[in-house]
Amino acid sequence: MIDMDKLVDLDKSTQSKQVFWDQDIYDRELERIFGRCWLFLAHESQLEKPGDFFSTKMGEDGVIVVRHTDGSLKAFVNSCTHRGNSVCSADSGNTRSFVCNYHGWVYGTDGALVDVPLKEKCYHDDIDMSAMGLPSVRVESYRGFVFGCFDESAPPLADFLGDWGWYLDTWMVGAGDGVELIGPPMKSILKCNWKVPAENFVGDGYHVGWTHASALEMLGGELGGLAGNRADMPFDDLGIQVTMRHGHGFGVIDNAAIAIHKKRDGYAKFMQETTPGVAEKMGGPRAALYNGHWNCTTFPNCSFLYGTNIFKVWHPRGPHEIEVWSWVIVHKDMDDETKREIVKEAARSFGTAGTLESDDGDNMVNATHNNQGRYTRSNTMDSRMGVGYEGPHPDYPGIVGSSFVGETSYRGFYRFYQEIMSAESWDAIRAKDSQWADCFPNKDYWKDRLAAKAKAGEQ
Amino acid sequence: MHTIEAQERVSMQLHYDVTQHYYQEATLLQNGDFSAWLESMVARDIHYWMPVVERRYVKDKRQEPTPNDMAIFNDDYDEVKQRVDRLGTGTVWMENPPSSIRYLITNVEAFHTDKADEFVVLSNFAIIRNRAQLEHSEHVGCRRDVLRKVDNGYQLARRKITLDARVTEDKNLYIFF
Repeated sequence: MIDMDKLVDLDKSTQSKQVFWDQDIYDRELERIFGRCWLFLAHESQLEKPGDFFSTKMGEDGVIVVRHTDGSLKAFVNSCTHRGNSVCSADSGNTRSFVCNYHGWVYGTDGALVDVPLKEKCYHDDIDMSAMGLPSVRVESYRGFVFGCFDESAPPLADFLGDWGWYLDTWMVGAGDGVELIGPPMKSILKCNWKVPAENFVGDGYHVGWTHASALEMLGGELGGLAGNRADMPFDDLGIQVTMRHGHGFGVIDNAAIAIHKKRDGYAKFMQETTPGVAEKMGGPRAALYNGHWNCTTFPNCSFLYGTNIFKVWHPRGPHEIEVWSWVIVHKDMDDETKREIVKEAARSFGTAGTLESDDGDNMVNATHNNQGRYTRSNTMDSRMGVGYEGPHPDYPGIVGSSFVGETSYRGFYRFYQEIMSAESWDAIRAKDSQWADCFPNKDYWKDRLAAKAKAGEQ
Repeated sequence: MHTIEAQERVSMQLHYDVTQHYYQEATLLQNGDFSAWLESMVARDIHYWMPVVERRYVKDKRQEPTPNDMAIFNDDYDEVKQRVDRLGTGTVWMENPPSSIRYLITNVEAFHTDKADEFVVLSNFAIIRNRAQLEHSEHVGCRRDVLRKVDNGYQLARRKITLDARVTEDKNLYIFF
């Protein structure tokens, strides 16, 4: 019996360590989270021509996303409707059809079954091919980012993203012609629960100085002062973090967008040249974000660092293991040299051999596998940092925390985690749309703080 | 950058020297003498490269990855040095206690090139990392190097590392190959 109210305690800001370990909780996650949420599949820049395909996963299900001959994007399950073998075994490519290696069944780029060998002689022409296409997946794009969803009753992608879309627009369409993803993705195995990196990216500004002490010391620059938590920094004035309706969240370090990049002449120039346009198009509050460094998770398992520009998906492989896929974000309008510079720097910092990436893995593996201990996992994890120092903000939607070092977005992530794991249907989730932020009761936090700041400014 | 052509095979003596050089390199790396490795065995114009190689169908005509594409390593000398420097900060928590990394270098084939002092050398590797209590990972692949003869040995001018695995079965690849 899974009791979500016990596993996630919103009053105490704790989570049971069982959420990183138990098989029955994981099984329910596959059903209620990976089976019902929009999951990142690919970027349209990877799927330009008819027949372009990309092979990926939704939860543990193999899925192919493909540009159909009519120009639309399709996604379907990579498993033949005859006896279940895969119909695609390449990472990506261009094809007119998908042919099963087992008996030669052929599917079109819309997933429809178009040929069955020996159909007349052996099936006696008595097979309804129209009912035997590959199981299809809902596909929608947001600013070129393609997502899939198994649940017909889930809200449209734009509604699932909600306020997150307002923030994403800052860099997805704020400058020039938008962005694209550079692949092919790096892929690696990390023996941790999928939520450990998801929660880390959604709101863990706290670990940066300590976990990444070595890399920050080596890199120096704007964030060098964070190394080892040595510098005395006014954290409440260096950025914010935000959580939203469906668990998406992010933290921003002000004016640090490109701080992790060592070679950055082209990138710095691009940012400088595009900022005035972003301010004009998106307004001052978002122009400020445009120059910040973001750590983010789109619920449930798609995380990225805007600024550093690494873009990741955490594919679950059981409760204790994930596959990490990493792409790089670049602006389409950048010159080729700048794009190459960003791809190199993003991979150098947060790729499989990254100077910062390499700091994180051990923490995530141990935070998972320590829970093999029955007594260990009978305890809870804590995410109370900054409780009360958060609330609605006049400029920024969602619930906004006082600093990028805080756990507002952790709390928001697990709030929605509890809700979707408990809810029988999307209707039950929709019914709570107006109450979701009740667990962040300090509604006047920003009103009071900004008033105090204004007053201090007058004096 | 990696287009230097391999010509005829080197002599038995030269092949022996190159092989010994690789064993010495492996010894430095598995002993954690990264600075000594960098200073004595890595040329200032190094290109240290591990491309990402997709699983593609045989008929797929897209070009092989170039250094302009996504890569796990794509470093010049300063960037390799930064990796070495990070390991020297004393705050790489994962390396305290240190990992044990073992290098098995085999199938060494060395060839002359247009330049008298540069050789194209192919080798296979199995790199095995053990750490903590039971943590064990293996990385198997091949290297295509350009080795340059210098006064007291050889220096690495190019290294292209190709991993056989599409998905790295390890928490990171912060290892010198």
